[in-house]
Amino acid sequence: MHTQARADNAAATAGGALPAISVRNLRMGYPARVLLDNASFDVGRGEILVILGGSGSGKSSLMKTIIGLYKPMAGDIFVNGANIATAGVEEKAQTQRKLGVMYQSGALFGSLNVLENVRFPLDQFTDLALADKNLTARMLLHQLEMAYAESLMPAELSGGMLKRAGIARAMALGCDILLLDEPSAGLDPITAANLDRTILSLRKNLGFTFVVVTHELQSILAIADRSIMLDPVSRSIIADGKPADLRDHSTDARVRQFFNRQPDLGKQQARS
Amino acid sequence: MSITTASDSGTGDDAVSVVLQGRITAYTAAPVWKYAIDTLTRNPNRRVIVDASRLEYVDDVGIALLFDLIRRDRPADAQVEIRELAPNLAALIRDYEPKDFVAATRARRPIGILEQTGRATAQQMAYLKEIARFLGACVRAFRQARTVNWGDVFDVATEAGANAVPIVLLMGFLMGVIIAFEVGLVAREFGAVIFVVNGVGVAMLRELGALMTAIVLAGRTGAAFAAQIGTQKVNEELNAISTFGLDPIHFLVLPRLLAAMLVVPLLTVLADVVGIFGGALVMATFDIGFLQFYNQLLGAVTATDFMLGIVKSAVFGLTIAAVGCHRGLTTGAGATSVGLSATSAVVTSIVLIVVIDGLFAVFTS
Repeated sequence: MHTQARADNAAATAGGALPAISVRNLRMGYPARVLLDNASFDVGRGEILVILGGSGSGKSSLMKTIIGLYKPMAGDIFVNGANIATAGVEEKAQTQRKLGVMYQSGALFGSLNVLENVRFPLDQFTDLALADKNLTARMLLHQLEMAYAESLMPAELSGGMLKRAGIARAMALGCDILLLDEPSAGLDPITAANLDRTILSLRKNLGFTFVVVTHELQSILAIADRSIMLDPVSRSIIADGKPADLRDHSTDARVRQFFNRQPDLGKQQARS
Repeated sequence: MSITTASDSGTGDDAVSVVLQGRITAYTAAPVWKYAIDTLTRNPNRRVIVDASRLEYVDDVGIALLFDLIRRDRPADAQVEIRELAPNLAALIRDYEPKDFVAATRARRPIGILEQTGRATAQQMAYLKEIARFLGACVRAFRQARTVNWGDVFDVATEAGANAVPIVLLMGFLMGVIIAFEVGLVAREFGAVIFVVNGVGVAMLRELGALMTAIVLAGRTGAAFAAQIGTQKVNEELNAISTFGLDPIHFLVLPRLLAAMLVVPLLTVLADVVGIFGGALVMATFDIGFLQFYNQLLGAVTATDFMLGIVKSAVFGLTIAAVGCHRGLTTGAGATSVGLSATSAVVTSIVLIVVIDGLFAVFTS
């Protein structure tokens, strides 16, 4: 029922069959270094799209551009049909509230405990009674298997707990798109697998659309419906498809090298 | 125990032999390295054979030593050859290209004084532009002051104001005591001790109450604002705030600006009162009683003096908070940047406080 409600809500706000996110002819990066040029892709509703690429390829920058923290050099980014690249301050803020974002470090507010962090968006944007906000926040934490940690401060949390709490906070305002920056980075294999399971469960039970930035191969293969791969040299998206297909059938050597964890050729090998 | 020696001796084909033996590690390599290079330098036109057959162990420094011997630019008939090196070490050394380790020969172009001045000016212009943009955003935020979270303002005011009361009282009291004592000693020579009361009153109300409070707050609160917001930036909390559609200026900066504008004048009143009280205590030792001090003070200071100090303190508060918050928002990456932001917030605030005080003195005298 919840899933249906969310889907209805998304359809109402986005006008039906529109993709959740649509990137068109995007040029982004820094004045001295363009990372992506003329890139276009869509993220379908309920899809888990993984943005992948090596370190420094611009994955996190692309995510921050999609959520409106970085201004694109050119191109359009439609979130639920609204162009965040050209939006004014208020329209952009409204669009951003439809996106839930989990940053690499969790980005929990250090002066608030876990429950207060998750409640924060509700405190800011709703007129709910404190008890209702607390109940909502506790349910979110329960969903993320973090109920036991509600009174802990961020400094007392492990890496995995920080990320779970970050996801719970990102979900608090009832958004339908979640963007996760390196959710598995720095986590032990079991914690990372648990987080992957949580992502899949959130999509299945609540119908979220996910954009996940990562270069953890096991996570990519476990959660992604589709992945796009960035290449900073050609400044383009060099692969777009199901991760397993890209791994097994890509004709691009860079994509195969990435999925098969092959090192660059050493000098000795290159010379011989 | 490691034994490492190097020796050279002439050989039949006019080659020099260097024998390396034992363990070459970071702790033992220095004399060996020096000896080997000296040997190469002394024999620029002779072939050098390095016998590595007696090497027991080399660490990364030892490998660098071996590579250093073969990478040197020498005539074709005076090359260095390492013999009987363990195959794994030989493979490792082959993996390095001498050209990759040539020190950059291009010296950094010296910058002339004109270019230095130009660069510094451009930097300052960019900084002023940045400040102007920040102040513009603050003014816009002030227009929405009605929607500010007064709970946050109260929290900041408690931390910046109530918790600063003891230090402000101490500083204010000591300022009054010091001025009264120093000026009183001189005034006694001229029989004008009673006029020290005028000096203490006017100085505390117009200048020192506001100035000392502001300097204490710049060190205490300005640095704290820069460090708090800087840390939030480093931890991506500012990004999180932005993606909730909240304006960091409205959410983080405005409460601090309002709190500072409220508490600095209040603290200044306290500093004024205890400063004058300190002055009165000292004047008692100069045979000026409290009642006489009070009567003289009433005739010496006006409401304008008091109000001038209060208005000035509000401007100081605004300046301290704005500089602290701006430095926090412009913090770079990493913990070091937070420290730099806090330091620069204090220095910039104090400089601006003195400049603003000077401007007040010029325009209100």
